[in-house]
Amino acid sequence: MILADILQLWNSAWPAGVTMLGLGVGFAVVLLIASEKLKVEVDPKIEQIHEVLPNLDCGACGFAGCGQYAKAVLERPELIGKCAPGGAETADKIANILNLQISKSGPSKRPVVHCRAHSEDKTYYGEYQGIQTCTSANALANVQACKFGCVGFGDCVSACKFDALSIVDGLATVDYDKCTGCGACSKACPRNLISMVPFSQENMMVVACNSKESGKAARSMCKVGCIGCGICSKQTDIFSIRDNLARVDYEKYQPTEQTETAMNKCPTGVIVYRGKTAPPPRPAGQKAVAASQKS
Amino acid sequence: MDTLNTLLMGFISIVLINNLVFTKFLGICPYLGVSGRIDMAFGMGMAVTFVVTLSGTLTWLIDHLILMTIPGLEVTRYVCFILVIAGAVQLVEMYLRKFFPSLYESFGIFLPLITTNCAILGLCLFINLWEVGNLLEAVVLSFGAGIGFTMAICIMAGIRENLNLADVPKSLRGAPITLITAGLLTLAFMGFAGMIK
Repeated sequence: MILADILQLWNSAWPAGVTMLGLGVGFAVVLLIASEKLKVEVDPKIEQIHEVLPNLDCGACGFAGCGQYAKAVLERPELIGKCAPGGAETADKIANILNLQISKSGPSKRPVVHCRAHSEDKTYYGEYQGIQTCTSANALANVQACKFGCVGFGDCVSACKFDALSIVDGLATVDYDKCTGCGACSKACPRNLISMVPFSQENMMVVACNSKESGKAARSMCKVGCIGCGICSKQTDIFSIRDNLARVDYEKYQPTEQTETAMNKCPTGVIVYRGKTAPPPRPAGQKAVAASQKS
Repeated sequence: MDTLNTLLMGFISIVLINNLVFTKFLGICPYLGVSGRIDMAFGMGMAVTFVVTLSGTLTWLIDHLILMTIPGLEVTRYVCFILVIAGAVQLVEMYLRKFFPSLYESFGIFLPLITTNCAILGLCLFINLWEVGNLLEAVVLSFGAGIGFTMAICIMAGIRENLNLADVPKSLRGAPITLITAGLLTLAFMGFAGMIK
């Protein structure tokens, strides 16, 4: 009885099995032939380079992703140092794979926001209620008095793939622990406020202002703007004044007593430290002398 | 003339009225997953159109030449169709990689993902369910299904691109507003129901 059932089951099942097997083998043969005929030779070095890359696909190198960069760097070895998140370590590894020797590159670059004005430090002529991006807010004149400072809608925050930027009280703030130096934020900022600075020290001295307004105008618009007074440039030639704005020469930059004095003597406190363990800037409006006495 | 009429009606029906995404709720995962940007959505739509036309034709042939001729074999339809789709996708992938490397790069991960796109298996089974009699009609229906999918995913991507700029309430941001949009879109397309047949 059971045997008959099993036999019946077998009788109805075997054509299905044979068909499946036939189809399977048929496709296997077609795919096998195709894989032989349509073989694409790939240089194993591309795979090796791809493995040592950080695989973040951030686009800092100028290619769409790590895969494309690996391919490009094999053909054009001069592109070796382009991987910002990987830094010197990755460059060394790639050079090893390609049997090349590279000279040590300079310190890795990190973004610096040239503004230190939080919402309460800035002057606003009106309230912006349009599309909540810096690019559109920037297109509308005379909402924020300062034409150069941080707009604070976070275009850089959304450009950052590493969650290293945040808006703190209307000011873009970099978390240097998370930052890989890919430079996406500096491209995203419609006011070109973020520049890539070679961090030769852990904390770098930065002129946290971008205002080219005259001293009087800058002071009327912002509590912590650079007024171009030139006190810092009198201390040391690392600082210079151009277009009413103090600038730091990072080629020469070394932390010395003079730079410290320049920072403390700055009347608006616009020279600050930025970096992983940077001390907090002088509170807005605090007198320069008081700060220098305290330190 | 009569055949042409049938083909045209079938095409319009599968694109607008019986759209796989809007009325059958098939292929929802790529529909929601890859509809972030319009160019990617269009790429996905083109890849699906290509594969669905190929596999719809192949499965119709296999169905009519093998499975329907031997009694009792209909039950293996699902397995056979999945086999055909997977094989077709693999073949397409190899072919593209060899002859159109740039297209292959731009499709990227989408191509292997299509293997598990239920809209394609659904279409192959629907062609059988609707008892499509001749090969030409099957080809047109498969192609139309692909076009319908492309249209759906592109509309969705267009809406979502604009949604990025809208001031959405915080609790609805991300997945919820996407699902609400998908629902409204489906409702809109329900208006076509009953236009043909």
